[in-house]
Amino acid sequence: MIAFEHVTKRYGERLALDDVTWRMEEGECAVVLGHSAAGKTTLLRLITHETQPTSGVITVGTFRGGRLSRSHRALLRRTIGVIYEDFRLLADRTVFENVALALHISGQHTDADVVPKVLRALQEVGLEPHRDLLPAELSFGERQRCAIARAIVNRPALILADEPTGALEPKSAAEVLSLLLRIHHEGAALLLGTTRTEVANVIGGRRYLLEDGRLREGGPGSMPVSVAQGAGGL
Amino acid sequence: MHLYFWREAWRSFRAHRGLAVTSVLSLAALLTLSGIFLLLDHNARQALAAIGDRREMIVYLKDEVSDTQLALLMDKIRQYFGEPTYMDRKQAWEELQEQIGDPDLLSGVEDNPLPASIHVRLKPELLNYAAMEQAAKQVQEFPEVEDVRYGAEYVRRLDEFSAGMATAAWAAGAMAALAIVLVLYNTLRLTVVARRQQVEIMLRLGASDRFIATPYLMEALMHTTLAAGVALGLIFALQQALASRLSGLTFLPLPWALGFVGAAIAVAWVASAAALTRILRAIGS
Repeated sequence: MIAFEHVTKRYGERLALDDVTWRMEEGECAVVLGHSAAGKTTLLRLITHETQPTSGVITVGTFRGGRLSRSHRALLRRTIGVIYEDFRLLADRTVFENVALALHISGQHTDADVVPKVLRALQEVGLEPHRDLLPAELSFGERQRCAIARAIVNRPALILADEPTGALEPKSAAEVLSLLLRIHHEGAALLLGTTRTEVANVIGGRRYLLEDGRLREGGPGSMPVSVAQGAGGL
Repeated sequence: MHLYFWREAWRSFRAHRGLAVTSVLSLAALLTLSGIFLLLDHNARQALAAIGDRREMIVYLKDEVSDTQLALLMDKIRQYFGEPTYMDRKQAWEELQEQIGDPDLLSGVEDNPLPASIHVRLKPELLNYAAMEQAAKQVQEFPEVEDVRYGAEYVRRLDEFSAGMATAAWAAGAMAALAIVLVLYNTLRLTVVARRQQVEIMLRLGASDRFIATPYLMEALMHTTLAAGVALGLIFALQQALASRLSGLTFLPLPWALGFVGAAIAVAWVASAAALTRILRAIGS
Protein backbone atom coordinates (compact mmCIF):
# COMPACT_ATOMS: atom_id res chain seq x y z
CA MET A 1 0.00 0.00 0.00
CA ILE A 2 2.79 2.43 0.97
CA ALA A 3 6.43 1.88 0.10
CA PHE A 4 9.39 4.19 0.74
CA GLU A 5 12.56 3.22 -1.13
CA HIS A 6 15.69 5.02 0.07
CA VAL A 7 13.75 8.24 0.63
CA THR A 8 15.69 11.28 1.77
CA LYS A 9 14.15 14.65 2.45
CA ARG A 10 16.14 17.80 3.15
CA TYR A 11 14.94 21.29 3.95
CA GLY A 12 18.02 23.26 3.00
CA GLU A 13 20.75 22.04 5.32
CA ARG A 14 18.35 20.29 7.67
CA LEU A 15 17.88 16.56 7.15
CA ALA A 16 14.29 15.50 7.89
CA LEU A 17 14.43 11.94 6.52
CA ASP A 18 17.63 10.04 5.82
CA ASP A 19 17.54 7.13 3.39
CA VAL A 20 14.25 5.71 4.71
CA THR A 21 13.14 2.35 3.32
CA TRP A 22 9.86 1.18 4.72
CA ARG A 23 6.61 -0.56 3.77
CA MET A 24 3.08 -0.56 5.07
CA GLU A 25 0.55 -3.13 3.90
CA GLU A 26 -3.19 -2.89 3.37
CA GLY A 27 -5.24 -2.92 6.56
CA GLU A 28 -2.13 -2.53 8.72
CA CYS A 29 -1.84 -0.25 11.71
CA ALA A 30 1.38 1.63 12.39
CA VAL A 31 2.49 4.38 14.73
CA VAL A 32 5.46 6.65 14.08
CA LEU A 33 6.86 8.03 17.30
CA GLY A 34 9.26 10.90 17.40
CA HIS A 35 9.95 14.13 19.19
CA SER A 36 8.68 17.42 17.83
CA ALA A 37 10.26 18.30 14.44
CA ALA A 38 11.59 14.75 14.10
CA GLY A 39 10.06 14.48 10.62
CA LYS A 40 6.74 12.74 11.33
CA THR A 41 4.70 15.39 9.53
CA THR A 42 7.19 15.36 6.66
CA LEU A 43 6.69 11.62 6.34
CA LEU A 44 2.91 12.03 6.18
CA ARG A 45 3.20 14.96 3.75
CA LEU A 46 5.39 12.87 1.48
CA ILE A 47 2.65 10.24 1.36
CA THR A 48 0.05 12.84 0.34
CA HIS A 49 2.50 14.47 -2.09
CA GLU A 50 2.24 17.80 -0.30
CA THR A 51 6.00 17.78 -0.51
CA GLN A 52 8.48 15.92 -2.70
CA PRO A 53 11.41 13.75 -1.59
CA THR A 54 14.91 15.04 -2.23
CA SER A 55 15.75 11.55 -3.42
CA GLY A 56 14.18 8.10 -3.42
CA VAL A 57 10.87 6.70 -4.58
CA ILE A 58 7.52 6.67 -2.81
CA THR A 59 4.64 4.43 -3.87
CA VAL A 60 1.13 4.93 -2.52
CA GLY A 61 -1.37 2.47 -3.93
CA THR A 62 -1.10 2.75 -7.69
CA PHE A 63 0.67 6.12 -7.54
CA ARG A 64 4.38 5.52 -7.85
CA GLY A 65 7.24 7.97 -7.38
CA GLY A 66 8.21 11.07 -9.28
CA ARG A 67 6.48 14.38 -9.23
CA LEU A 68 2.77 13.78 -9.81
CA SER A 69 0.73 16.25 -11.83
CA ARG A 70 -1.74 18.44 -9.93
CA SER A 71 -4.65 16.31 -11.11
CA HIS A 72 -2.94 13.07 -10.05
CA ARG A 73 -2.04 14.54 -6.66
CA ALA A 74 -5.71 15.42 -6.22
CA LEU A 75 -6.73 11.89 -7.21
CA LEU A 76 -4.24 10.38 -4.75
CA ARG A 77 -5.46 12.54 -1.87
CA ARG A 78 -9.06 11.49 -2.48
CA THR A 79 -8.06 7.92 -1.71
CA ILE A 80 -6.65 8.85 1.70
CA GLY A 81 -8.37 10.18 4.81
CA VAL A 82 -6.17 12.67 6.65
CA ILE A 83 -6.62 13.89 10.22
CA TYR A 84 -4.62 16.89 11.41
CA GLU A 85 -3.71 18.07 14.89
CA ASP A 86 -5.38 21.44 14.20
CA PHE A 87 -8.45 19.82 12.56
CA ARG A 88 -8.35 21.94 9.37
CA LEU A 89 -12.10 22.45 9.29
CA LEU A 90 -13.74 25.18 7.22
CA ALA A 91 -14.80 27.78 9.76
CA ASP A 92 -17.84 29.08 7.87
CA ARG A 93 -19.35 25.64 7.18
CA THR A 94 -21.45 23.60 9.50
CA VAL A 95 -20.35 20.20 10.74
CA PHE A 96 -22.54 18.63 8.08
CA GLU A 97 -21.09 20.77 5.30
CA ASN A 98 -17.51 20.09 6.39
CA VAL A 99 -18.07 16.36 6.16
CA ALA A 100 -20.08 16.65 2.94
CA LEU A 101 -17.20 18.56 1.36
CA ALA A 102 -15.11 15.40 1.12
CA LEU A 103 -17.93 13.68 -0.75
CA HIS A 104 -18.40 16.60 -3.12
CA ILE A 105 -14.65 16.66 -3.79
CA SER A 106 -14.64 12.97 -4.66
CA GLY A 107 -17.08 13.79 -7.46
CA GLN A 108 -18.69 10.37 -7.20
CA HIS A 109 -21.88 11.26 -5.41
CA THR A 110 -25.07 13.00 -6.42
CA ASP A 111 -26.53 15.64 -4.12
CA ALA A 112 -29.12 13.08 -3.02
CA ASP A 113 -26.41 10.54 -2.06
CA VAL A 114 -24.55 12.99 0.09
CA VAL A 115 -27.05 13.38 2.93
CA PRO A 116 -27.32 9.72 4.09
CA LYS A 117 -23.57 9.17 3.79
CA VAL A 118 -22.75 12.25 5.85
CA LEU A 119 -25.34 11.38 8.48
CA ARG A 120 -23.90 7.88 8.78
CA ALA A 121 -20.37 9.25 9.26
CA LEU A 122 -21.62 11.74 11.84
CA GLN A 123 -23.44 8.96 13.70
CA GLU A 124 -20.24 6.91 13.74
CA VAL A 125 -18.36 9.72 15.48
CA GLY A 126 -21.33 10.71 17.65
CA LEU A 127 -21.79 14.15 16.15
CA GLU A 128 -25.14 13.74 14.43
CA PRO A 129 -26.92 16.00 16.98
CA HIS A 130 -24.38 18.76 16.25
CA ARG A 131 -24.71 18.58 12.47
CA ASP A 132 -25.86 22.20 12.09
CA LEU A 133 -23.27 23.76 14.37
CA LEU A 134 -20.21 25.64 13.16
CA PRO A 135 -16.75 24.37 14.21
CA ALA A 136 -16.33 27.34 16.54
CA GLU A 137 -19.38 26.10 18.49
CA LEU A 138 -17.78 22.70 19.15
CA SER A 139 -15.27 21.58 21.76
CA PHE A 140 -11.80 20.61 20.51
CA GLY A 141 -12.66 16.95 20.90
CA GLU A 142 -15.82 17.39 18.88
CA ARG A 143 -13.89 19.26 16.19
CA GLN A 144 -11.46 16.38 15.90
CA ARG A 145 -14.35 13.95 15.68
CA CYS A 146 -15.79 16.10 12.90
CA ALA A 147 -12.41 15.92 11.12
CA ILE A 148 -12.46 12.14 11.55
CA ALA A 149 -15.96 11.97 10.10
CA ARG A 150 -14.70 13.94 7.12
CA ALA A 151 -11.73 11.59 6.77
CA ILE A 152 -13.83 8.41 6.83
CA VAL A 153 -16.92 9.50 4.91
CA ASN A 154 -15.42 8.32 1.61
CA ARG A 155 -14.45 4.99 3.21
CA PRO A 156 -10.76 5.34 2.34
CA ALA A 157 -8.44 2.34 2.56
CA LEU A 158 -5.84 4.46 4.38
CA ILE A 159 -6.19 6.93 7.25
CA LEU A 160 -3.28 9.22 8.11
CA ALA A 161 -3.43 10.91 11.49
CA ASP A 162 -0.90 13.59 12.35
CA GLU A 163 -0.85 14.02 16.13
CA PRO A 164 -4.64 13.68 16.27
CA THR A 165 -4.82 14.10 20.03
CA GLY A 166 -2.27 16.90 20.29
CA ALA A 167 -4.82 19.61 20.98
CA LEU A 168 -7.17 17.51 23.11
CA GLU A 169 -7.63 16.99 26.82
CA PRO A 170 -7.28 13.33 28.00
CA LYS A 171 -10.95 12.33 27.86
CA SER A 172 -11.46 13.64 24.34
CA ALA A 173 -8.13 12.16 23.29
CA ALA A 174 -9.20 8.73 24.52
CA GLU A 175 -12.49 9.02 22.61
CA VAL A 176 -10.68 10.01 19.42
CA LEU A 177 -8.16 7.15 19.71
CA SER A 178 -10.97 4.72 20.43
CA LEU A 179 -12.72 5.95 17.32
CA LEU A 180 -9.57 5.57 15.20
CA LEU A 181 -9.07 2.04 16.46
CA ARG A 182 -12.64 1.16 15.62
CA ILE A 183 -12.19 2.51 12.08
CA HIS A 184 -9.00 0.48 11.74
CA HIS A 185 -10.71 -2.66 12.97
CA GLU A 186 -13.35 -2.14 10.30
CA GLY A 187 -10.62 -2.54 7.68
CA ALA A 188 -8.85 0.75 7.04
CA ALA A 189 -5.09 0.94 7.33
CA LEU A 190 -4.04 3.48 9.95
CA LEU A 191 -0.78 5.40 10.11
CA LEU A 192 -0.51 7.71 13.06
CA GLY A 193 2.28 10.12 13.92
CA THR A 194 2.70 11.19 17.54
CA THR A 195 5.18 12.43 20.11
CA ARG A 196 3.39 10.52 22.90
CA THR A 197 4.27 6.97 23.85
CA GLU A 198 0.91 6.62 25.61
CA VAL A 199 -0.89 7.20 22.32
CA ALA A 200 1.26 4.57 20.64
CA ASN A 201 0.47 2.19 23.47
CA VAL A 202 -3.26 2.68 22.98
CA ILE A 203 -3.15 2.27 19.22
CA GLY A 204 -0.86 -0.75 19.20
CA GLY A 205 0.13 -2.12 15.79
CA ARG A 206 3.65 -1.76 14.39
CA ARG A 207 5.68 0.91 16.08
CA TYR A 208 8.44 2.98 14.54
CA LEU A 209 10.77 5.50 16.07
CA LEU A 210 11.80 8.44 13.92
CA GLU A 211 15.02 9.98 15.17
CA ASP A 212 17.75 11.93 13.38
CA GLY A 213 15.95 11.33 10.11
CA ARG A 214 16.15 7.53 10.54
CA LEU A 215 13.07 5.32 10.89
CA ARG A 216 13.54 2.28 13.14
CA GLU A 217 10.99 -0.37 14.01
CA GLY A 218 10.27 -0.71 17.72
CA GLY A 219 10.65 2.07 20.25
CA PRO A 220 10.04 2.95 23.85
CA GLY A 221 7.09 1.61 25.84
CA SER A 222 6.05 -1.07 23.42
CA MET A 223 3.48 -2.67 25.69
CA PRO A 224 -0.04 -1.90 24.39
CA VAL A 225 -2.56 -0.84 26.98
CA SER A 226 -6.32 -0.61 26.66
CA VAL A 227 -8.01 2.59 25.68
CA ALA A 228 -9.67 2.81 29.06
CA GLN A 229 -6.40 2.38 30.86
CA GLY A 230 -4.59 4.85 28.66
CA ALA A 231 -7.21 7.55 28.77
CA GLY A 232 -5.86 9.24 31.81
CA GLY A 233 -2.38 9.68 30.47
CA LEU A 234 -3.21 11.04 26.99
CA MET B 1 -23.06 18.39 -7.53
CA HIS B 2 -24.30 21.35 -9.56
CA LEU B 3 -26.39 22.43 -6.62
CA TYR B 4 -23.22 22.43 -4.51
CA PHE B 5 -21.45 24.76 -6.94
CA TRP B 6 -24.38 27.19 -7.10
CA ARG B 7 -24.65 27.17 -3.30
CA GLU B 8 -20.93 27.90 -2.98
CA ALA B 9 -21.07 30.67 -5.58
CA TRP B 10 -23.99 32.29 -3.78
CA ARG B 11 -22.23 31.88 -0.41
CA SER B 12 -19.13 33.61 -1.75
CA PHE B 13 -21.23 36.32 -3.39
CA ARG B 14 -22.94 37.03 -0.06
CA ALA B 15 -19.76 36.75 1.98
CA HIS B 16 -18.00 39.34 -0.20
CA ARG B 17 -20.92 41.67 -0.84
CA GLY B 18 -18.79 44.82 -0.88
CA LEU B 19 -16.35 43.34 -3.36
CA ALA B 20 -19.23 41.98 -5.45
CA VAL B 21 -20.97 45.37 -5.61
CA THR B 22 -17.69 47.10 -6.55
CA SER B 23 -17.03 44.51 -9.21
CA VAL B 24 -20.57 44.71 -10.66
CA LEU B 25 -20.47 48.52 -10.75
CA SER B 26 -17.00 48.60 -12.36
CA LEU B 27 -18.05 46.06 -14.97
CA ALA B 28 -21.33 47.89 -15.55
CA ALA B 29 -19.46 51.16 -16.17
CA LEU B 30 -17.13 49.46 -18.66
CA LEU B 31 -19.93 47.67 -20.42
CA THR B 32 -22.04 50.84 -20.56
CA LEU B 33 -19.19 52.70 -22.27
CA SER B 34 -18.64 49.99 -24.83
CA GLY B 35 -22.40 49.60 -25.21
CA ILE B 36 -22.73 53.30 -26.07
CA PHE B 37 -20.26 52.80 -28.92
CA LEU B 38 -22.27 49.79 -29.99
CA LEU B 39 -25.45 51.89 -29.94
CA LEU B 40 -23.73 54.60 -32.03
CA ASP B 41 -22.41 52.00 -34.45
CA HIS B 42 -25.84 50.43 -34.78
CA ASN B 43 -27.52 53.77 -35.47
CA ALA B 44 -24.74 54.86 -37.83
CA ARG B 45 -25.17 51.63 -39.76
CA GLN B 46 -28.89 52.23 -39.97
CA ALA B 47 -28.39 55.80 -41.18
CA LEU B 48 -25.74 54.72 -43.67
CA ALA B 49 -27.95 51.93 -44.93
CA ALA B 50 -30.71 54.46 -45.52
CA ILE B 51 -28.31 56.81 -47.31
CA GLY B 52 -26.70 53.91 -49.14
CA ASP B 53 -30.06 52.85 -50.49
CA ARG B 54 -30.25 56.20 -52.23
CA ARG B 55 -26.83 55.86 -53.87
CA GLU B 56 -27.11 55.64 -57.60
CA MET B 57 -24.97 55.73 -60.68
CA ILE B 58 -25.89 58.02 -63.58
CA VAL B 59 -24.91 56.83 -67.03
CA TYR B 60 -24.91 59.65 -69.64
CA LEU B 61 -25.58 58.43 -73.16
CA LYS B 62 -24.24 59.58 -76.50
CA ASP B 63 -26.78 61.42 -78.67
CA GLU B 64 -26.72 58.89 -81.50
CA VAL B 65 -27.84 55.85 -79.41
CA SER B 66 -30.71 54.05 -81.12
CA ASP B 67 -33.70 52.53 -79.34
CA THR B 68 -32.39 49.04 -79.98
CA GLN B 69 -28.95 49.90 -78.56
CA LEU B 70 -30.66 51.54 -75.59
CA ALA B 71 -32.76 48.45 -74.90
CA LEU B 72 -29.70 46.19 -75.07
CA LEU B 73 -27.73 48.50 -72.79
CA MET B 74 -30.59 48.60 -70.27
CA ASP B 75 -30.69 44.79 -70.23
CA LYS B 76 -26.95 44.54 -69.59
CA ILE B 77 -27.10 47.12 -66.83
CA ARG B 78 -30.05 45.36 -65.22
CA GLN B 79 -28.22 42.04 -65.39
CA TYR B 80 -24.90 43.14 -63.93
CA PHE B 81 -25.28 46.42 -62.05
CA GLY B 82 -28.79 47.21 -60.87
CA GLU B 83 -32.19 48.54 -61.73
CA PRO B 84 -32.00 51.11 -64.58
CA THR B 85 -34.40 54.01 -65.16
CA TYR B 86 -34.15 55.81 -68.49
CA MET B 87 -34.44 59.61 -68.64
CA ASP B 88 -34.53 61.12 -72.13
CA ARG B 89 -33.21 64.57 -72.98
CA LYS B 90 -36.63 66.21 -72.67
CA GLN B 91 -37.22 64.78 -69.18
CA ALA B 92 -33.73 65.87 -68.12
CA TRP B 93 -34.44 69.42 -69.31
CA GLU B 94 -37.79 69.51 -67.48
CA GLU B 95 -36.16 68.28 -64.32
CA LEU B 96 -33.46 70.94 -64.56
CA GLN B 97 -36.11 73.62 -65.07
CA GLU B 98 -37.99 72.33 -62.08
CA GLN B 99 -34.87 72.34 -59.91
CA ILE B 100 -33.88 75.88 -60.92
CA GLY B 101 -37.39 77.18 -60.56
CA ASP B 102 -36.83 80.57 -62.29
CA PRO B 103 -37.43 80.16 -66.10
CA ASP B 104 -35.59 83.47 -66.82
CA LEU B 105 -32.30 81.91 -65.82
CA LEU B 106 -32.58 79.39 -68.66
CA SER B 107 -34.07 81.74 -71.22
CA GLY B 108 -30.67 82.30 -72.85
CA VAL B 109 -30.21 78.60 -73.55
CA GLU B 110 -31.54 77.95 -77.09
CA ASP B 111 -31.13 74.17 -77.50
CA ASN B 112 -31.47 71.50 -74.79
CA PRO B 113 -27.80 70.73 -74.00
CA LEU B 114 -28.57 67.84 -71.63
CA PRO B 115 -27.86 64.26 -72.68
CA ALA B 116 -30.21 61.34 -72.14
CA SER B 117 -29.22 59.24 -69.15
CA ILE B 118 -29.84 56.04 -67.28
CA HIS B 119 -30.16 56.23 -63.50
CA VAL B 120 -29.01 52.94 -62.00
CA ARG B 121 -30.16 51.89 -58.57
CA LEU B 122 -27.20 49.65 -57.74
CA LYS B 123 -27.32 46.12 -56.42
CA PRO B 124 -26.61 45.95 -52.65
CA GLU B 125 -23.21 44.29 -53.14
CA LEU B 126 -22.09 47.28 -55.25
CA LEU B 127 -22.90 49.89 -52.58
CA ASN B 128 -19.33 50.66 -51.62
CA TYR B 129 -16.63 52.84 -53.08
CA ALA B 130 -14.40 50.14 -54.57
CA ALA B 131 -17.25 48.22 -56.17
CA MET B 132 -18.88 51.38 -57.51
CA GLU B 133 -15.60 52.56 -59.02
CA GLN B 134 -15.15 49.18 -60.70
CA ALA B 135 -18.75 49.18 -61.95
CA ALA B 136 -18.37 52.72 -63.33
CA LYS B 137 -15.25 51.70 -65.28
CA GLN B 138 -17.05 48.69 -66.74
CA VAL B 139 -20.12 50.73 -67.75
CA GLN B 140 -17.85 53.37 -69.26
CA GLU B 141 -16.56 50.68 -71.65
CA PHE B 142 -19.94 50.36 -73.41
CA PRO B 143 -19.80 52.27 -76.75
CA GLU B 144 -23.19 53.91 -76.11
CA VAL B 145 -21.93 55.59 -72.94
CA GLU B 146 -20.62 59.14 -72.90
CA ASP B 147 -19.84 59.44 -69.20
CA VAL B 148 -20.57 57.85 -65.83
CA ARG B 149 -21.04 59.73 -62.55
CA TYR B 150 -21.61 58.23 -59.11
CA GLY B 151 -20.39 60.83 -56.59
CA ALA B 152 -17.07 59.09 -56.01
CA GLU B 153 -15.79 61.42 -53.30
CA TYR B 154 -19.10 61.38 -51.44
CA VAL B 155 -19.28 57.60 -51.56
CA ARG B 156 -15.66 57.29 -50.44
CA ARG B 157 -16.23 59.53 -47.43
CA LEU B 158 -19.39 57.68 -46.54
CA ASP B 159 -17.52 54.38 -46.62
CA GLU B 160 -14.65 55.82 -44.56
CA PHE B 161 -17.09 57.11 -41.96
CA SER B 162 -18.81 53.75 -41.83
CA ALA B 163 -15.50 51.91 -41.44
CA GLY B 164 -14.38 54.42 -38.80
CA MET B 165 -17.52 53.83 -36.73
CA ALA B 166 -17.07 50.07 -36.94
CA THR B 167 -13.41 50.40 -35.92
CA ALA B 168 -14.35 52.63 -32.99
CA ALA B 169 -16.95 50.10 -31.84
CA TRP B 170 -14.41 47.25 -32.10
CA ALA B 171 -11.75 49.29 -30.32
CA ALA B 172 -14.18 50.16 -27.54
CA GLY B 173 -15.14 46.50 -27.32
CA ALA B 174 -11.51 45.39 -27.15
CA MET B 175 -10.70 47.96 -24.47
CA ALA B 176 -13.76 46.93 -22.49
CA ALA B 177 -12.69 43.28 -22.80
CA LEU B 178 -9.22 44.12 -21.51
CA ALA B 179 -10.66 46.12 -18.64
CA ILE B 180 -13.08 43.27 -17.81
CA VAL B 181 -10.08 40.92 -17.63
CA LEU B 182 -8.32 43.25 -15.18
CA VAL B 183 -11.39 43.86 -13.02
CA LEU B 184 -12.24 40.16 -12.80
CA TYR B 185 -8.64 39.12 -12.20
CA ASN B 186 -8.35 41.49 -9.25
CA THR B 187 -11.79 40.63 -7.88
CA LEU B 188 -11.07 36.91 -8.07
CA ARG B 189 -7.60 37.32 -6.61
CA LEU B 190 -9.00 39.22 -3.63
CA THR B 191 -11.85 36.71 -3.20
CA VAL B 192 -9.62 33.65 -3.39
CA VAL B 193 -6.87 35.15 -1.23
CA ALA B 194 -9.50 35.98 1.40
CA ARG B 195 -10.38 32.27 1.40
CA ARG B 196 -6.83 31.05 0.97
CA GLN B 197 -6.93 28.84 4.05
CA GLN B 198 -10.09 27.15 2.80
CA VAL B 199 -8.58 26.64 -0.62
CA GLU B 200 -5.51 25.04 0.95
CA ILE B 201 -7.69 22.69 3.00
CA MET B 202 -9.65 21.72 -0.09
CA LEU B 203 -6.42 21.03 -1.99
CA ARG B 204 -5.31 18.77 0.86
CA LEU B 205 -8.61 16.90 0.70
CA GLY B 206 -7.95 16.17 -2.96
CA ALA B 207 -10.01 18.88 -4.62
CA SER B 208 -9.08 19.49 -8.24
CA ASP B 209 -8.41 23.03 -9.45
CA ARG B 210 -11.62 22.78 -11.43
CA PHE B 211 -13.63 21.84 -8.35
CA ILE B 212 -12.23 24.79 -6.39
CA ALA B 213 -12.47 27.23 -9.29
CA THR B 214 -16.01 26.44 -10.47
CA PRO B 215 -17.91 28.38 -7.75
CA TYR B 216 -15.62 31.39 -8.23
CA LEU B 217 -16.09 31.15 -11.99
CA MET B 218 -19.86 31.05 -11.51
CA GLU B 219 -19.63 34.03 -9.18
CA ALA B 220 -17.66 35.99 -11.79
CA LEU B 221 -20.30 35.12 -14.37
CA MET B 222 -23.01 36.26 -11.97
CA HIS B 223 -21.18 39.59 -11.59
CA THR B 224 -20.84 39.97 -15.36
CA THR B 225 -24.43 39.03 -16.13
CA LEU B 226 -25.69 41.50 -13.54
CA ALA B 227 -23.32 44.17 -14.86
CA ALA B 228 -24.42 43.55 -18.46
CA GLY B 229 -28.05 43.87 -17.37
CA VAL B 230 -27.33 47.15 -15.59
CA ALA B 231 -25.37 48.41 -18.62
CA LEU B 232 -28.20 47.55 -21.02
CA GLY B 233 -30.63 49.35 -18.70
CA LEU B 234 -28.43 52.46 -18.67
CA ILE B 235 -27.99 52.40 -22.45
CA PHE B 236 -31.75 52.04 -22.89
CA ALA B 237 -32.34 55.01 -20.57
CA LEU B 238 -29.79 57.03 -22.55
CA GLN B 239 -31.43 56.11 -25.85
CA GLN B 240 -34.86 57.07 -24.49
CA ALA B 241 -33.52 60.39 -23.22
CA LEU B 242 -31.88 61.23 -26.56
CA ALA B 243 -34.57 59.82 -28.83
CA SER B 244 -36.67 62.99 -28.55
CA ARG B 245 -33.71 65.13 -29.69
CA LEU B 246 -32.16 62.79 -32.24
CA SER B 247 -34.98 61.47 -34.35
CA GLY B 248 -34.40 57.98 -35.61
CA LEU B 249 -32.15 56.99 -32.70
CA THR B 250 -33.15 53.42 -31.93
CA PHE B 251 -32.17 50.96 -29.20
CA LEU B 252 -30.09 47.89 -29.94
CA PRO B 253 -32.09 45.17 -31.68
CA LEU B 254 -32.64 42.01 -29.62
CA PRO B 255 -29.91 39.96 -31.38
CA TRP B 256 -27.41 42.80 -30.77
CA ALA B 257 -28.41 43.08 -27.10
CA LEU B 258 -28.16 39.32 -26.61
CA GLY B 259 -24.84 39.29 -28.46
CA PHE B 260 -23.60 42.10 -26.19
CA VAL B 261 -24.48 40.14 -23.03
CA GLY B 262 -23.14 36.91 -24.56
CA ALA B 263 -19.84 38.53 -25.53
CA ALA B 264 -19.43 40.01 -22.04
CA ILE B 265 -20.09 36.59 -20.46
CA ALA B 266 -17.72 34.87 -22.89
CA VAL B 267 -14.92 37.35 -22.11
CA ALA B 268 -15.63 36.97 -18.38
CA TRP B 269 -15.54 33.18 -18.68
CA VAL B 270 -12.17 33.10 -20.43
CA ALA B 271 -10.70 35.82 -18.19
CA SER B 272 -11.92 34.16 -14.99
CA ALA B 273 -10.75 30.68 -15.99
CA ALA B 274 -7.29 32.01 -16.87
CA ALA B 275 -7.11 34.11 -13.70
CA LEU B 276 -8.21 31.25 -11.44
CA THR B 277 -5.70 28.84 -12.96
CA ARG B 278 -2.97 31.35 -12.28
CA ILE B 279 -4.17 32.19 -8.75
CA LEU B 280 -4.63 28.55 -7.68
CA ARG B 281 -1.19 27.60 -8.98
CA ALA B 282 0.27 30.50 -7.02
CA ILE B 283 -1.41 29.19 -3.85
CA GLY B 284 0.46 25.92 -4.35
CA SER B 285 -0.17 22.24 -4.08
